[in-house]
Amino acid sequence: MTRRNVAPLAAVLLIASPVIVGVAYTILAALGLRGAGASELTVRHVAAALGGWDTWRGVGWTLATAAVATAVAAAAAFTVALRVQQSPLGRLLAVLPLAVPHVAAALAALLLLSQSGWVSRLTHAAGLTPTPADFPALVYDRFGVSLVLAFAWKEFAYLVLTAVAVLGTLDRASDEVARTLGASARQVFWRITWPQLWRGTSPAVIAAFAFLIGQYEMPALLAPSTPTALPLLIYERSVDPNLLRRGEAYVVALLALTLCAGLIAAHGIWRRRLPGVTR
Amino acid sequence: MTHATHRFTLLALAGWVLTPIVVLALRAVSLSWRYPQIMPMATASGGAFEALADPRLVAAAATSFWLALATGVLGTVLGFVTARLVTRASGRLQQLTWLGALFLVVAPPLASGVGLQVVMLSLGFGGTVLGVLLAHLVPATGYLTLFAAGILGSMQSGIEDEARTLGASRLQVWTRVLLPQLAPRFAESVVLGALISWGQLALTLLVGGGVVRTLPVELLSLVRSGNDQAGALAALVLSLPPLLGLGLLVRATRRTGAAL
Repeated sequence: MTRRNVAPLAAVLLIASPVIVGVAYTILAALGLRGAGASELTVRHVAAALGGWDTWRGVGWTLATAAVATAVAAAAAFTVALRVQQSPLGRLLAVLPLAVPHVAAALAALLLLSQSGWVSRLTHAAGLTPTPADFPALVYDRFGVSLVLAFAWKEFAYLVLTAVAVLGTLDRASDEVARTLGASARQVFWRITWPQLWRGTSPAVIAAFAFLIGQYEMPALLAPSTPTALPLLIYERSVDPNLLRRGEAYVVALLALTLCAGLIAAHGIWRRRLPGVTR
Repeated sequence: MTHATHRFTLLALAGWVLTPIVVLALRAVSLSWRYPQIMPMATASGGAFEALADPRLVAAAATSFWLALATGVLGTVLGFVTARLVTRASGRLQQLTWLGALFLVVAPPLASGVGLQVVMLSLGFGGTVLGVLLAHLVPATGYLTLFAAGILGSMQSGIEDEARTLGASRLQVWTRVLLPQLAPRFAESVVLGALISWGQLALTLLVGGGVVRTLPVELLSLVRSGNDQAGALAALVLSLPPLLGLGLLVRATRRTGAAL
């Protein structure tokens, strides 16, 4: 290691130290060497957590809801960014959800989408749902409809912000050359604008997806108890009165961290492929 | 795009973005809003806001405020120092740092927090404001390192070199060149760090153990206890500082001509 790298490395280790120590502790606790009920090296917690159907069902459900929400948010964000990039009012409206904390947005979703919520009242007024029970259960439901919509509402703003920034840096000269050479507006979009927009925003899309996997506040208010979302699974196991089950929280936490690290690695590989990025 | 399409886009966007906020605001100012009323029959004036004077909410708001301020200031110092050192390091270490900072940002708070919780407990910080502050600093430092790296990366290093060539000491370069240039960015960084702490719930619950009561913790317990009206009011209070921060950011970007 060169001398100029010593101080930066020390700084990096300092800011990462809480997570390094936390993860080290999590590994030891998952192996039964630390934490409540620790005795000796054992894979009992690992086997209990990874061998349980609940865990994998929760992981699958969390990945599915996060993926659908990210896809919805990204599709809406790209559509809106392309249309409002020249409109200050449109851009301001689009980023407003950034100001609403997740727990507040979750409450808004609850007030809107529950069986006695505002949307249900509108369908009642339209004569479609005579009673609240006739309105489909969109909150605490196994498809996670309200959770997906709430996730998408929050991430939409972040992705619009990124997409507008990327669109602002695009070289429009190639669009004009393509149009001069006879390309239609549709061809210009799909062959020139879209590849550049996707390349510039894809790291943000990956980051949004990774963030949603670990989001706690919204599932705490909107998700069903079965399947259990990954962050809720970690929290419930970590405060379980049965001390032996607490070890499973560390295993599930490691699983979530591994998923997240995989996505960060994907993000890193993606960045390497971008032209002009420092390697 | 035709004028009509543009108007339709703006209307659809306004509906998507504003409907949840308007419903939240209406619920906050209505003592009662029963099914199937589409609009509350009467919005109470004084009564609806009584919840704001609840000593528990006031204390929680104060705790949130001090935590946010301390997280913003400490996170800014750590973020800028790290970014400054790393922008001068080799490319591989730089890349490793940015990925590490990104990991701090997107790592599930509960997943990194379960280990952190026990570390805090063993240090005697479990269930204390100091422990929660240290926990909030983890994601905040990640964000602010990335934020500082973006700023320092786009700053012209030539000015600094010129000052050194003209005889300025290292201290003078900092006090006369860098700090005046960076002061507005420091302020933005403090606001950003404060906002990350302000809305944080998972780490507060885990490390604070339910003893440290911040506004998001109170909001969660209000909603879970079925008190939607006080919950909505707390949610609005929780949303005001970020809204103010966003307003300042929009003003700043318009002044500089950047897009937001």
